[in-house]
Amino acid sequence: MGLLNIGTRALLANQLALQTAGNNVANVNTAGFSRQSVLMQSVEGQLTGSGYYGNGVEAVTVLRNHSDFLTRQSALTGSVSAADTKRLDMLKQLEDLFPGGADGLGASMGDMLNSFSDVASAPSDLTARTTVLARADELASRFTATATRLSTMQQGVQNELRTTAGSINSLATRIASANQQIVNEQGNGHTPNDLLDHRDELLKQLGALVQTTNIPTDDGSVSVFLAGSQPLVLGQTVAPVAITSDTFGDPGKSKLSITRGGTSVVLDEATLGGGALSGLLRFQNNDLVEAGNLLGRMALALGTRMNEQQHLGLDLNGAAGGDMFTLGAMPAVLPADTNTGTGSVAVGVQTTPSSGATSLRASDYEMTFASATSGTIRRVSDGQVSAFSAVPAQIDGLNLQVSGTAAAGDRFLVTPFRQAAASISVALGSPRALAMASTVAASAGAANQGTLVLQSLLPQTANVNLNQTVTLTFTGAGTFNVTGTGTGNPTGVGYVPGQAISYNGWALTLKGAPQVGDTYTVQANAYPGINGGNAEAMLALRDTPMVDGASATDGYAALMTQLGVKVQSAGFSASVSHSIATHTEADRAAVSGVNLDEEAARLLQFQQAYQASAKMLQVAQTVFDTLMQNLAR
Amino acid sequence: MRTGTANTYDNALQQLLQRQTDLSGQQERLTSGKRVNRASDDPQASALAERALVKISRVETDQRALEVQRSAISTAESTLGDATELVRGVRELVIQAGSAGNLPGDRTMLAKKMSDLRDQLMTLANRSDSNGVPLFGGLGSTSAPFADIPAGVQYQAIPGQRSTTINGLPGAMNGQAVWMDVKTGNGTFKVGLNSANTGGVWTDTGAVTAPGALTGNDYSVNFSVVNGVTTYAVVNTTTSTTVATGQPYTDGAPIQFEGMSLVAHGQPANGDSLSVTPSTVTNIFKVLDDAISGLSNKTGGNQVSQTVALALKQIDTGMDKLQAARSQAGVWLNRADTITSAQEANTISLEGAKSRAVDLDMAKGISDFKLLDTGYQAALQSYAQIQKLSLFNFIN
Repeated sequence: MGLLNIGTRALLANQLALQTAGNNVANVNTAGFSRQSVLMQSVEGQLTGSGYYGNGVEAVTVLRNHSDFLTRQSALTGSVSAADTKRLDMLKQLEDLFPGGADGLGASMGDMLNSFSDVASAPSDLTARTTVLARADELASRFTATATRLSTMQQGVQNELRTTAGSINSLATRIASANQQIVNEQGNGHTPNDLLDHRDELLKQLGALVQTTNIPTDDGSVSVFLAGSQPLVLGQTVAPVAITSDTFGDPGKSKLSITRGGTSVVLDEATLGGGALSGLLRFQNNDLVEAGNLLGRMALALGTRMNEQQHLGLDLNGAAGGDMFTLGAMPAVLPADTNTGTGSVAVGVQTTPSSGATSLRASDYEMTFASATSGTIRRVSDGQVSAFSAVPAQIDGLNLQVSGTAAAGDRFLVTPFRQAAASISVALGSPRALAMASTVAASAGAANQGTLVLQSLLPQTANVNLNQTVTLTFTGAGTFNVTGTGTGNPTGVGYVPGQAISYNGWALTLKGAPQVGDTYTVQANAYPGINGGNAEAMLALRDTPMVDGASATDGYAALMTQLGVKVQSAGFSASVSHSIATHTEADRAAVSGVNLDEEAARLLQFQQAYQASAKMLQVAQTVFDTLMQNLAR
Repeated sequence: MRTGTANTYDNALQQLLQRQTDLSGQQERLTSGKRVNRASDDPQASALAERALVKISRVETDQRALEVQRSAISTAESTLGDATELVRGVRELVIQAGSAGNLPGDRTMLAKKMSDLRDQLMTLANRSDSNGVPLFGGLGSTSAPFADIPAGVQYQAIPGQRSTTINGLPGAMNGQAVWMDVKTGNGTFKVGLNSANTGGVWTDTGAVTAPGALTGNDYSVNFSVVNGVTTYAVVNTTTSTTVATGQPYTDGAPIQFEGMSLVAHGQPANGDSLSVTPSTVTNIFKVLDDAISGLSNKTGGNQVSQTVALALKQIDTGMDKLQAARSQAGVWLNRADTITSAQEANTISLEGAKSRAVDLDMAKGISDFKLLDTGYQAALQSYAQIQKLSLFNFIN
């Protein structure tokens, strides 16, 4: 009867193997499925007088072909790749907001400044003045359009962050319930292969959102940690995550927080590692803020500088110029929620001793008080810290006014440039109001004998003595004396042709060779009607260092490059991490993935074994029949 | 080594998609003709192109301004040509008026003609360019810098000359130097007849013989006729010192003293005198006004001769100023041509730089496209081939 038994067992075992191969084929495209195989084992032989006779085969269990290491690696590299890819996608969108060429902000700034040339040529021509206003309006609307798109992006990112946090919570809950099921199945001696696959797949999906550390425990559950040490899933319990604001409540930035047992912990995004969420956070907190600051700083620097220049001119009615651009109020300085003092800080562009418009740096600032009137200011963009020992404190062209009494340790976040680009608009309604005439004019002495000619006279900075009459009297080919209020009446000043002579806020450039006794006088402009002196000064702003020591248009080219390099390097990172992720996934699939050819071979193999086993039964039958027939005779 | 079937498909699909993306990227470059379509394609090149674009538009702006300046200066140049013609016309009329055969009425008629020309000259001086900026406005003026008030013509503008710049010309000329800077007399001193003279003496405008000996003082040349012998004495009236006495006078012979020389004609009466004073600055209009009033309705004689001699000399001085200004304008116009050709070269080189930075080399672009296309086709074909291979195809 041994053969019959062996045949039956073999039939059964091979059927299971066929079933498993079929299951593999069926799940060839199931995400996270690990190929399974039946572990066969020969049944212990029976001792007889002539030795051990085998008792056939039995299926012990179904094995899951799986490597913990590779699965973990695949999830990890996938997580890093997801972060890089997400940041790259966002950066590409950001880059599109800053196009070059004729459609760009740079060209618009150039056009606007260039349009002053026509006014300088024809100061009383209303067409040229209207063109200036139209160009200024175009520039302002490009600034606001770009700022609006930035803020739309910011809202989009914010929404995506919230959705992602929701997905993390839902995945964590599902992992916890998978843990529960696995623990329940733990007692029966067999591994719940499909449940394990399911949980691994959930962990992988979670890893794509945020990098996790997964630690298996003895009861079969897996504990999931964020940022290296914060438990997201412990056994069957879940600590939900949420998107919160930082300590300053800065609307432009977000943090991930995790709540366990009623206590919230804010996670530093630097420790989060990979995952789309980290990519988004990094994009929002660094890249988006930086782009906003660069844009806002450009609008503020150009707008403020042009307003200042406009104030130095006279309009067609002979009145002093008003603001050219309306610049919105700077956003409120944000106090940290841990502050204990009553102090508050207000920020503005520095006006004394000189205007800060051209020394602004595109950065937020963090102000930390050591006492009510001293402390440190950290420039967030490069981390440089400088001390202040009196209030109002001044840094990088900004004036920080303190009211109330700040306590030691109080911190404030200064975000001067967030709103500047969004709120800029043209303030002048009429082309006549453009202050294109200079408030000062230069005249050559009537008895001048030399060849002195005037290259330019530009009013440059606000000065109470701007309109005072100042006379330069040449005492030789290379020297002159100066007389006039506000100059200090220096004598023997060196004269270099083509080099600006600056007093009282104006800059006079003469060329040619003077004779002794020749004079040049700078005084209030008597003929503002057809004077384009201030238009020339506006035109000279094309070359004025305005953003980080570069002119406005060069500054825009630099901004484009800066973003371009960012996208490029993010692209390299994404491509490298994607390639690594692809390879580790291929490695994992090499172990766990289903290969159809292999399964086809296995099907044939076990089909034949099954057929052979069936033959065995037939032989056993025949043997038995033979015996019965012989006995019957 | 084994591979997961699903993973193989995933990877193959991803490769196909990647090649497709590359191909469509190359197509974008081909259709736009640009190698760099966004800053991240090549940050340095796109910054270079951006800066070149800014410079190109600046050149355009400078050129537009230059055209305005060129038209102003060229108008000024032709205005100065017209002015020279007018002044030359006046000069001829002055010569005509000096002719001895004229009656006072003839001189009045000639003076009226002169006066008409003088008014035309005034209009020329106040001419503006097409933008309403006065051509001779100096460093700033009202819309008409020359005011014809009873006290004489006033320059209501700021005297001084703008210089040329690297890419530009001055938009106006210094009216002070062109119209308002005429030295009286011969440029150093002016000889006048005493109004109480009764004789027929008149002089030329004199000349400087020894610049080092000039004093800048006023002099009086006093004639005395004793017994038919005419002599003269020269007195420095500033210092009240006698420079020479008892010099014999001959009609047409030079009278020389302290570096100056003048030629007197005609016969002076006893007690007649000449005044010699240093030149002062007047303007071309005053010169003409003086000639007109000195000739209008005048009988011929030594006064008319004196007026004519002085007027001719001063008109020449004024004309020299006009011509000097005209040649200055000519130099500037030449400079405008030089600037224009330099700016054109500049634009071409900037366009070249921009194009080299961001434009696609079409030959290379098309060849790259072919390469990518071939690669994509090969990938598609091999995918189609591979996916046909399966053991299941052979199991019946």
